[in-house]
Amino acid sequence: MTAATAPVTAPRSWRVPSAAGPARLLRVELRRSPMLWLLPLLAAAFYVSTYHPAMDNPPFWNIRSAMLQSHTLLVFAPLLAGAGAWAGSRDGRRGLVDLVGVTAMPRWAGQLASWVAATIWAELLYLAGVAVLYGVTADQGAWGGPLWWPVAVGTATVAASCAVGFAAGEWLPGRFTAGLAALVVFLALAGGAFAIQDDATYAQIWPLNVQGPFPSDSYGIFYPYLPDLAIAQVMFLAGLAVAALGALGLPAAAGGRWLRGAAAAVTVAGLAAAGTGTALAGTARLEANGMVIPALHDAASDRPTPYTPVCGRGAVPVCLQPAYRAYLADVTAALGPLVSQLAGLPGAPVRVTQVDVTSVHPAPSNGIGFGPPVIEGRPAVLYLPLSGLTLPGEGNTRAAAFISNLRGQYGLEIVNEFVGLPSITPPGTGATAIGVVVRGGHQAQLVIAGALERVLGLGQQQPGPRLPHGATPAGRGPFSPGGQQLAASKRFAALPEAARHAWLATHLAALRADRVTLSEIP
Amino acid sequence: MTAAEVGRPAPELAPGQVGGSAGPGRAGRAGVRLVRLHAASRRVLACLLVLVACAAALRTALHWLPHTGVLSRQIPLIIEAGAAAVIGVTTRSPFGEPERATGRWLPWLRLALPVTLTGAAVGALAAGSASAHLAYGSVGLLRDVAGFTGIALLAAAVLGGALSWIGPIAYLGVTLPALSGGWATPWIWPARPPHDRGAAICAALVFAAGVAVITARGARDSVRE
Repeated sequence: MTAATAPVTAPRSWRVPSAAGPARLLRVELRRSPMLWLLPLLAAAFYVSTYHPAMDNPPFWNIRSAMLQSHTLLVFAPLLAGAGAWAGSRDGRRGLVDLVGVTAMPRWAGQLASWVAATIWAELLYLAGVAVLYGVTADQGAWGGPLWWPVAVGTATVAASCAVGFAAGEWLPGRFTAGLAALVVFLALAGGAFAIQDDATYAQIWPLNVQGPFPSDSYGIFYPYLPDLAIAQVMFLAGLAVAALGALGLPAAAGGRWLRGAAAAVTVAGLAAAGTGTALAGTARLEANGMVIPALHDAASDRPTPYTPVCGRGAVPVCLQPAYRAYLADVTAALGPLVSQLAGLPGAPVRVTQVDVTSVHPAPSNGIGFGPPVIEGRPAVLYLPLSGLTLPGEGNTRAAAFISNLRGQYGLEIVNEFVGLPSITPPGTGATAIGVVVRGGHQAQLVIAGALERVLGLGQQQPGPRLPHGATPAGRGPFSPGGQQLAASKRFAALPEAARHAWLATHLAALRADRVTLSEIP
Repeated sequence: MTAAEVGRPAPELAPGQVGGSAGPGRAGRAGVRLVRLHAASRRVLACLLVLVACAAALRTALHWLPHTGVLSRQIPLIIEAGAAAVIGVTTRSPFGEPERATGRWLPWLRLALPVTLTGAAVGALAAGSASAHLAYGSVGLLRDVAGFTGIALLAAAVLGGALSWIGPIAYLGVTLPALSGGWATPWIWPARPPHDRGAAICAALVFAAGVAVITARGARDSVRE
């Protein structure tokens, strides 16, 4: 057909553009988006970086959802930025900028359609990964429900990565742009990790940061997941994406005067949102259940999640949160002999109850310290935190190793707590010594604690505590081998169980008050 | 260049040399010109500038980074992967089939370019890390850059030169969790200590495979690009 034979059509009258044009443009962009070809690689990266490690961990919603934010985005964000840059630089690489600049649709709208198409594919793959991982987790019988805020941060990061890369590709089209965009995003993520480890105030906004220094198994079970930090991160990432896309509409070629004005307003709004999110993240503080941002905090999040504990049947029952039901036998095996040895004594726990934490305190380099088990109440209850411990099924950890670690780590602390050894953690935390004693005094308490540890076989499993100023590890200093205390400890441990029990029943109150001398110990 | 200019001598050649005696001097000049044009078509100068920028970034990072821990490895690895990604992108040819059909020396040029650029990358990054503490040292740097470059070259053969950055970046994304996870496989060589022979062999094999494939076949040509 030549131009001469082309059918003559009547000139169309002016009409209001319908949504069919943008929808058709989006369909075209969806078909030709380079992101489509990257999907198999992203799926493989998701399997290696997220799914496989997730299956090496027990089925807890908090652990799995944290991986969707920290593990997945570390791989996805640079690749998506690179692919976004590749999509954004398409017209520039092919020398089509002038050609597409004179189409009926504003240039900015065409660019946004290309970005939307790339982002839709990336989001679909990310959400498909979320669906698979959460589906498998639900199938494995995880207690509670999935956490959606880490997924929200993930989707915002996906969109922002595509937007930043796309803008870089539009502004600097070239063969190196895509790779360099990926490299810069990678460096930004690594720099964020460095900043957060350096305790930089605003580094909490780092998109891979789930709940500050909290281990992933320590939140979202006993209390609702605190969304404060996630809200600030979504605000920051959405603002970043909007600012990057808005900046594309600023050049004269992007469209008319009004459109460029709108683009400028959008850019400013995006920058303001990103800045606000960063400023809010700077006010985040560490509390018992997660990171709290006062301006965003909802008091309803502080109410504990109701549950019916699962309890064992021993003389001193061990009660766990139902999410930990699978570990009831292991915890009972680890602590049962210990609490049974103390049973019947004044102030001895009549029950072991799991709690999320007994106390938390920040540590340098974005660290966190959890308090040990505490014995409180009347009748006394041993409150046992399991957060941060390596559970059976986590990596190569087996039940025997978990039992041994739990006895080794908490046994000494429980004994120290029982005989009244003083706390060495910051005042007000309610935490007690972790096999650590303060210099001076407490000689009888040390002797009895050492004897009980000897009887219970806890001595070989000394944990490696962080020593505070002026403290020495038990077994050294005032309790050095060969000393008078060691002899007394051995002597007391060698007593018949009934005699030990009877002496403790009589002297425990005085012992806790540190009013017992070494000569009074049989 | 127009059709009328076809057949005229190149500006570098004297008129008397056209169709005249072919001496070693002329061959040498033609060879130099061929290398120069090949390098220009692959944007080697821009690549070298990026490598210098990577070296500067490494020097800056090493000033701030701790000497131990995962972070001391992560950021240098990212910069090394970036250098390798840029080397991979240089394999893209703007000429495609005509160059392959007429370029007798093309395989040698394709061999020389990535090897030379890899050497330049190692040299630049080593210079950037001089007088600073680089975790795993220069031996680790050589191993990692070579391995990353091998992946970039293999990706160039599969995906095309312009998309070859995907290879090292994706591999890096898988590698970074392995740094703290203590993976033992030598195929994740950045997570292995520098004296690990298996990791060095794996990185060398990947580099050799990448160079061999690029030498023999060149980067994949994309119809669209």
